[in-house]
Amino acid sequence: MKRRRRRWFSTRGLLYVGAALLALQAAFPFFWMASTSFKPPPEVFAQPPSFIPQDPTWENFQRLFTATAFLVYFRNSVIVSGLSVLLTMVVSAAGAYSLTRYRYLGREKIAGLILCTYMFAPIMVVIPFFILVKKAGIENTHFALVLAFTSFCLPFTLWLMRAFFATIPLELEEAALVDGAGRVRALVYVVLPLALPGIIATSIFTFILAWNDYIFTRILITSDELKTLPVGVQDLFHSALIDWGLIMAAGIMITIPALLFFVAVQRYLIRGWGAGGVKG
Amino acid sequence: MTGVSGPESKPLDPSGARPRSEVTPAGRGMARRGGWIPATRPERSQQLMGLLTIAPALFLILALTLYPVAYSIWLSLLEKHSFFPQERFVGLENYLYLWTDPEFWTSLWLGVIYSVWTILFQVILGVAAALILNESFVGRGLIRGIVLFPYMIPTIVAVILWKWLLNDTYGVVNYWLFAFGIVRDPISWLGADHIMLSVIVMSIWQFFPFVLLSILARLQTIPPELYEAAKVDGASATRRFIHVTLPQIRGILFVVILLRSIWMFTKFDTVWLMGEGAGAGRFIRTLPVYAYMRTLTYYQAGLGAALAVIMFAILVVCTIIYFGLFREEADIG
Repeated sequence: MKRRRRRWFSTRGLLYVGAALLALQAAFPFFWMASTSFKPPPEVFAQPPSFIPQDPTWENFQRLFTATAFLVYFRNSVIVSGLSVLLTMVVSAAGAYSLTRYRYLGREKIAGLILCTYMFAPIMVVIPFFILVKKAGIENTHFALVLAFTSFCLPFTLWLMRAFFATIPLELEEAALVDGAGRVRALVYVVLPLALPGIIATSIFTFILAWNDYIFTRILITSDELKTLPVGVQDLFHSALIDWGLIMAAGIMITIPALLFFVAVQRYLIRGWGAGGVKG
Repeated sequence: MTGVSGPESKPLDPSGARPRSEVTPAGRGMARRGGWIPATRPERSQQLMGLLTIAPALFLILALTLYPVAYSIWLSLLEKHSFFPQERFVGLENYLYLWTDPEFWTSLWLGVIYSVWTILFQVILGVAAALILNESFVGRGLIRGIVLFPYMIPTIVAVILWKWLLNDTYGVVNYWLFAFGIVRDPISWLGADHIMLSVIVMSIWQFFPFVLLSILARLQTIPPELYEAAKVDGASATRRFIHVTLPQIRGILFVVILLRSIWMFTKFDTVWLMGEGAGAGRFIRTLPVYAYMRTLTYYQAGLGAALAVIMFAILVVCTIIYFGLFREEADIG
């Protein structure tokens, strides 16, 4: 009896140590980033480093907003991510509706083909994409970026949406049709509300992908006033003397929207995860 | 799903991570291979509306993903400047050049080292962490949320964060190593000798939450009765893991390893942003970074495309072998 009790304690103890380590490895780097961003420049380089800023200041954030083009990048990121989410939602909702509600020749083939494109990595697509975009004369536009993100997210969002649409019983729609609603009304009032968790999950994926993207933006956008956050911040990093306080403040400002978005809709995300996973 | 039904679709299909509700009925694979043949011919209006609503998605994927990929195969046969329109057909010259190019072989080797180590540790840590978070304890929900952070943040943030932590003069890592007396002189983590180690550790940190969450989702569907039965039979924790847990997560593990392998082997942004291909970055110039540099540093779009095609071919071959080796798991997954 006694032996068993002690064993129980040690496994429990091990579990808590493991859990604490897990939390620490994820949280500490962010804590350190936040801590650095609130330190005045001399304290940033102090040895030994102070973990809590001794003399907290908004100075780094002020400089970020006034002395760099950060706000322009931020606005661009919001525009591009927002439009990508919108376009992806409309196109994949229509596609998922088609794949679950209509019967036509080649339907399953189309679904399979779309899924296949899921395995193309950005690096394999972006180089020819860049040359084709140049030929089409839309290089260096947000439009090209939105198209890139949408086509990149589509295979995944379409499959996820299809799974959600497939769980909505056809009878509900048929009932609405019998009651005299048109297909469009049935879609808007019956199907879409029921597919809401799926729509939310897919929009998170699209948003985070567009918000975080580096490679497409780096290659497709050349003028400074069109750059999004990741590329803009990388350029801050290239100045001769690295201003760590400023960079960390920028890091905090990019992370917050993505994290807020993530926390707000986390339960949908985890549900979507069970259904498919995120690319990256 | 399609991935297991026909040899032609195998390499292209990350399958099993697909929606669970699409459970495949027995005959489905057959029907799909031969094209979908409805019992009765669908009505005209059905056909028309169906095709009309799928058209935008199909168009975007054909025009913006499949066409570029096909074009890159053509591009790999050309000698072409990345910015100017002139082009010249050179056949397989780009591939022949790469065959004799020591830099290509180095980048392939570096890419393999990077992928193997990152995948190995992501899977080990991801499974271990999932087992921890599958137990119930105080604060589990909070920790589950926190551990996903590294996977959700933009890569650029992860990179600047780690460059700051690993900074040789002011970095907190070197400070600790020094304070605990482990090293006497600061280690140049981003220098030629250690940059590969640094980028591997950082990538594991950034991507193992994906494995963690995928495995955790599966662990939670294992009926507790299985464990209780094993306990009654007197199985130890280790034996319970091997005989109960492992068989249950085999299918998802198969899919997760496949996806992570594809993504790590083609990982560009993390590796590029850590080293940018120059200086010490030469020592982490993996295949994707090399393809990017050929195109946008040396403006040799043809060579860049050839590298992308080679990368793709390697992936296809490895995926076929992988499916062949783990036939059983592929069926579960």
